[in-house]
Amino acid sequence: MDLIPPDYFLNDAYDELIAPDGRPRPAARALFQYLGSLEPGVLAARRDAVDAAIMAMGITFTVYSDGANIDRAWPFDIVPRVIPRSEWERIEAGLKQRLTALNLFIDDLYNAQRIVKDGIFPLEVLEGSKNFREQCRGISPRFGVWAHICGTDLVRDKDGTVYVLEDNLRVPSGVSYMLENRQLMKRLFPEMFQAMTILPVDDYPTQLYDTLAALSPRDGERPVVAVLTPGIYNSAYFEHSYLAQQMGAVLVEGSDLAVGDDDCVYMKTITGLRRVDVIYRRIDDDFMDPEAFRPDSALGVPGLMRAWRAGKVGIANAPGSGVADDKVVYAFVPRIIRYYLAEDPILPNVPSWLCMVDEDRDYVLEHIDDLVVKPANESGGYGMLIGPRATAAQRDNFRALIRENPRNYMAQPTLTISTAATLVGDRLAPRHLDLRPFVLQSQKLYATTGGLTRVALREGSLVVNSSQGGGSKDTWIVDTEE
Amino acid sequence: MLSRVAENLYWMARYLERAENTARLINSTTQLLLDLPRGASFGWDVLLRVAGLDDLYGRTYGVPNEADIMRFLIQDEANPSSIASSIRCARENTRTFREVLPREFWERVNSLYLYVRANAADEAMSRSQRYAVLDGVIERRQAIVGLLMGTMSHDVAYQFIELGRNLERADMTTRIVDVNSAVLLPSDGAVSRAVLERLWMGTLKALSAYQMYRRHVGVHIEGAGVVQFVLTDSPFPRSVAHCLSEIEGCLAALPNSDGAMKAMRTAWRRLEQMRFEGLPPVVLHDYLDQVQADLGAIHAAVAQQYFYLHQARPAGPVGG
Repeated sequence: MDLIPPDYFLNDAYDELIAPDGRPRPAARALFQYLGSLEPGVLAARRDAVDAAIMAMGITFTVYSDGANIDRAWPFDIVPRVIPRSEWERIEAGLKQRLTALNLFIDDLYNAQRIVKDGIFPLEVLEGSKNFREQCRGISPRFGVWAHICGTDLVRDKDGTVYVLEDNLRVPSGVSYMLENRQLMKRLFPEMFQAMTILPVDDYPTQLYDTLAALSPRDGERPVVAVLTPGIYNSAYFEHSYLAQQMGAVLVEGSDLAVGDDDCVYMKTITGLRRVDVIYRRIDDDFMDPEAFRPDSALGVPGLMRAWRAGKVGIANAPGSGVADDKVVYAFVPRIIRYYLAEDPILPNVPSWLCMVDEDRDYVLEHIDDLVVKPANESGGYGMLIGPRATAAQRDNFRALIRENPRNYMAQPTLTISTAATLVGDRLAPRHLDLRPFVLQSQKLYATTGGLTRVALREGSLVVNSSQGGGSKDTWIVDTEE
Repeated sequence: MLSRVAENLYWMARYLERAENTARLINSTTQLLLDLPRGASFGWDVLLRVAGLDDLYGRTYGVPNEADIMRFLIQDEANPSSIASSIRCARENTRTFREVLPREFWERVNSLYLYVRANAADEAMSRSQRYAVLDGVIERRQAIVGLLMGTMSHDVAYQFIELGRNLERADMTTRIVDVNSAVLLPSDGAVSRAVLERLWMGTLKALSAYQMYRRHVGVHIEGAGVVQFVLTDSPFPRSVAHCLSEIEGCLAALPNSDGAMKAMRTAWRRLEQMRFEGLPPVVLHDYLDQVQADLGAIHAAVAQQYFYLHQARPAGPVGG
């Protein structure tokens, strides 16, 4: 079966699986050998089988649209994205380096603020941060670690360089889909897993449990770990429930918890109140505790901050970690790494212009047609401008927004992010994608083997977010003899 | 076990049991109608009355007829007790405690939901199609029960599932028997013995009790014997007595169950005092009401003891 059509390439993007000469890259050779051995129609038939399995397994995400919550099946492409192990090992080292430095940075900001005093990080950026929490000043969480779970978005540009696009330090989601994708692939193509050395991904729940358990304030006992969810209408509810199940943790909603006069957190059980040691919260700071943050939040637990400050409960990620999840702070990460670790960053940032800096702002206003402009604190691809695709009115609107509040905007060149062969109908076509590995830190550091590959399923689209028409692929880290 | 999760498990089990029993009741009633002589005092609206849904139906649909009643009982989401609603609620509940049940459980409940969504919404369903679809509901629901029995530890979560299942089952059994008291109430004495026998046979079939009755009681089917069998024959799994002993076992395995146990013992005592020989329909109806009230008291005691902490939420968001 002729898999790669002669007119395969759409543009000059780097393709993860296919080299410019139209032949599979070395790490993907075994994959294509296998795919090529299948009878015509088999691939499409397996795709249909996997779609049915996704429906039956109820792997869904929730979209809020037209005033109703819709449960959508998770769109999945059956052609995996393959990364050679040697390349992955370098990326993994870079991810760990980055999170280590970011945690040192957060801890410093809430304590001595050496980095500001030493003139590396500008005071005005700190002062303009929406996610800097005054309530966290002077706290030193265990191991000095604030962000225990980080989802780092990586993209590859035309020349093959892998860049860090974003560090998601608040409540990053997607890891359950990474795990489910692998389950699906093993059900679907057991032959490939026999023929190739594909590194497993399924130790994540154990690693996450260990990361969380290490935060327990009561040493020596098996800690009670709870996953705090906003409830079934949250888009990532599937994941909250999945992770609780995989870790043997309790899935709780805010109304299941109460903070006692002794500052301990309790859950309401059929036999009365039971103490909780560690909370993996999947609720933003703002909604976590109506006593400390937004008083109108019905999702949170009154007194949770008090309990955390008193050291009676571990919370991951720690309140206030979001200060480093800011697209302006992002631009400083290479400097942050050099400052705290005295090392060069292993993974480069995408070049960025900060609108708060006069000459950068002038450049951005002048070249907005060619740039991607991002607000500092949004996630999920919301509120950004893709210059080359925007209308004149949208650009003018953004110019005004930038002039009004320069601290809140940064800009990057429009990258041609890489593609990978994706099954469209019954043939392969390139679709753009990114990669979100998950990195854990408490007592130990850990990075997932690969991560979640998100793919923009519409031809030519660069938006991979599931809320905006993205799907995903299994991600294989493979051993190859090169 | 979280109070909220216990409550959701309990209701999930009740919803699934209700869906299956409704499917059984509709199928057996369909069969029964084929055997009744013209002019017998029986209509589909009896199904509405025994389920206590006649008011709700009347407000939406008006005059009872088979097609509307079937739509109402099977697929109408505005009826909280319809098969589609019950299964949707069971699925929503299951989403809130996937972490305490075997993983396959969710897949099975989800597939039952998808089955009902794909098959039960057909407006123009013929009687034979309907029979097959409802049979599919029963079959899938039975697979779910089997899965739990075969794979789930008999832990606290299991006890709440069993509690909900048995309370709902006992309640539905009394309601299915009540179909006949509703038929017989306006009796003018002209109903022949053969028709009566058919009606009671219908009751037994709705409860999948026909064969067991014949094996354990006899081939002749008469009202008093049937009522006694389905209420008090404790070896038969859909009898009220059997459900009560299951409930007793669950309560014994749960902590602090004194209050619910007390309500349980009251229900037992009153069931044991019932006399069925020569029972007039009016008394039968009263008996069934009494059993339903006693089951309600057990439910209230369980809710008070185990779900209370969760239900006692603060009056509202602070500040708000």
